Amino acid sequence: MAGSNTAVKEALKAHPAPSSVSSQEVHKWLQDFTWEFKSNRTKYPTKYNMDNNTREQFKLTAKEYARMESVKEERQYGTLLDGLSRLDAGNKIAPQWGEIMKLVANFLETGEYGAISGSALLWDSAQSPEQKNGYLAQVIDEVRHVNQTAYVNYYFGKHYYDPAGHTNMRQLRAINPLYPGVKRSFGEGFLAGDPVESSINLQLVGEACFTNPLIVSITEWAAANGDEITPTVFLSIETDELRHMANGYQTIVSIVNDPEAMKYLQTDLDNAFWTQHKFLTPFIGAALEYGSKYKVEPWAKSWNRWVYEDWAGIWLGRLAQFGIKSPACLGDAKQDAVWGHHDLMLLAYALWPLTGIRVSLPSTEDMAWFERHYPGWYDHYGKIYEEWKALGFEDPNSGFLGAIWMMQNGHGIFVDHTSSLPFCPTLAKSAVRPSFLESNGKRYAFSEPHGERMWLQEPERYEFVNFFEQFEGRELSELIQSAGGVRSDGKTLMAQPHVNTTGLWTLDDIKKINLTIPDPMKILNWQPTQ
Amino acid sequence: MTNSNAYNAGTNGKEGQSFIDEFLSKENSVIHSSDAVVLAMMKTEEIDVIIDEMIKPMLVDNPTIAIEDRGGYWWIKATGKIVIDCDEAAEILGKRYTVYDLLVNVSTTIGRAMTVGNQFIITTELVGLESAVPTSA
Repeated sequence: MAGSNTAVKEALKAHPAPSSVSSQEVHKWLQDFTWEFKSNRTKYPTKYNMDNNTREQFKLTAKEYARMESVKEERQYGTLLDGLSRLDAGNKIAPQWGEIMKLVANFLETGEYGAISGSALLWDSAQSPEQKNGYLAQVIDEVRHVNQTAYVNYYFGKHYYDPAGHTNMRQLRAINPLYPGVKRSFGEGFLAGDPVESSINLQLVGEACFTNPLIVSITEWAAANGDEITPTVFLSIETDELRHMANGYQTIVSIVNDPEAMKYLQTDLDNAFWTQHKFLTPFIGAALEYGSKYKVEPWAKSWNRWVYEDWAGIWLGRLAQFGIKSPACLGDAKQDAVWGHHDLMLLAYALWPLTGIRVSLPSTEDMAWFERHYPGWYDHYGKIYEEWKALGFEDPNSGFLGAIWMMQNGHGIFVDHTSSLPFCPTLAKSAVRPSFLESNGKRYAFSEPHGERMWLQEPERYEFVNFFEQFEGRELSELIQSAGGVRSDGKTLMAQPHVNTTGLWTLDDIKKINLTIPDPMKILNWQPTQ
Repeated sequence: MTNSNAYNAGTNGKEGQSFIDEFLSKENSVIHSSDAVVLAMMKTEEIDVIIDEMIKPMLVDNPTIAIEDRGGYWWIKATGKIVIDCDEAAEILGKRYTVYDLLVNVSTTIGRAMTVGNQFIITTELVGLESAVPTSA
């Protein structure tokens, strides 16, 4: 084969293919049509000094961009609408996977919305014509991705046997305990604050680092669990992400030679990494390992490959010569990569009526897999799940709810004020070192010192009312009903504690439990350590 | 000799507690700079041909290239640089094929990726910092 390539190369050299004006020559020519910087005003000024001569690595023209993207659409929708429909692909998916995709596609769609704004504000801030060109293409890409992620839920809603949740997940955003974390990392992280900090959050960390496991390697898990839709759509989404990663890199190129930049860059990078990691590391791990019947590899190994060795080594490591250091939180992030998703899933099981999806406790086979790859898992989590199952976790007549079991056993669930995500100080194996601080007469919980530091530096940035504060005193079934957490019959819950088609929980089953939402900060009387 | 760029090389070659211990070790709690690049390419008619006829033959000159079939995509990792010449791909495929056609199916990159003329290049070099962004092939 190598020989035939040599022949091709020699033939091309001797007889170059005839060409007219290439698209890249057009791109070069178009750069003459630039902006008038003297009169240029930006709505989103940055504390950094962005170089006006920064380049765009893919040299896109509108013509080539539009042609390329239309080919992507034709291939993606062509595959889904024709071949997979005839194969009844929507109904060959492992139920656990069909359920977790209700959250994955929906959360990612939320992120794509945030990315539209984030890349638009960067377009507004940058003054280099090529840099603006790259950001502008990204704005259009993100609109495409919103449609694609919504299409995954649409496809599942139409073809998968349990559409509840694929059709209407976002109506549960007020009560799903994960939504505030999504909004914190994908919303506020991508589009608020300094534009360069947004670029670091969105492009350098969110896209260059975490989309690789979230959008690329997840497709291997999807395929293993019978899902032929997600690989087609997600791998097509990611074909745009590599240009976004280049945009993020060129943001750094545009500022890194300015000595003033180093006043802020390391802190902004550390905060962005921690912000994205706090949601994405436990969420992706839980989605892959607990949302699958057939498992590909331990999440900690995927994290080691995509996040630590390749993203950190190839991006941050190579930038060390310009003063970029390892994030101070890296050690804790790695501890989270091993245990954070198990901690998060324990809370998802405990709070299942609020999640909008059907969750299923690990099977005997799953438990053996977890213990093999995470020694100590069974003694810490497995025994709890066995006890919950024996107490009637799945049975609508049992009156059992994991959240009540936790409170009765002294395991309070709190909401970390910076990441907006729930945590349990007494059952966590991840890097949890809780603190409880008071400011202006209000008490705040923090799961670890990195988020606490971020809040102390910019408390106004993290204002939000958490689930317990918002709904304290509400009865659980009434809350689920008013939030829209029931199916089309008006009484069966969208969420279920199993994936069976019978024995479904209704509002009446929750009402029998008679749970009034408490605020654990009050009932467990947690106080800062004196 | 094991290729250090292989999919499960290094720490990922270990299992269970041995993996966790090495993953969480003090030595691995800081970033180590890497001169590798990574590519993921969607499986399609064209990409499968490019893998077979263009990427695999590169092993002759660059034995650090690792190629893995990961279900819906090909995962490729190499030290230094990977260049895919789309004029060459067009000859092999027997149809018009530009670098922007290739980009329809390049799903991710880790490293500095760019188009130069009708070539796709991913390099460990810090273009724009260590060298200028190339403008033509």
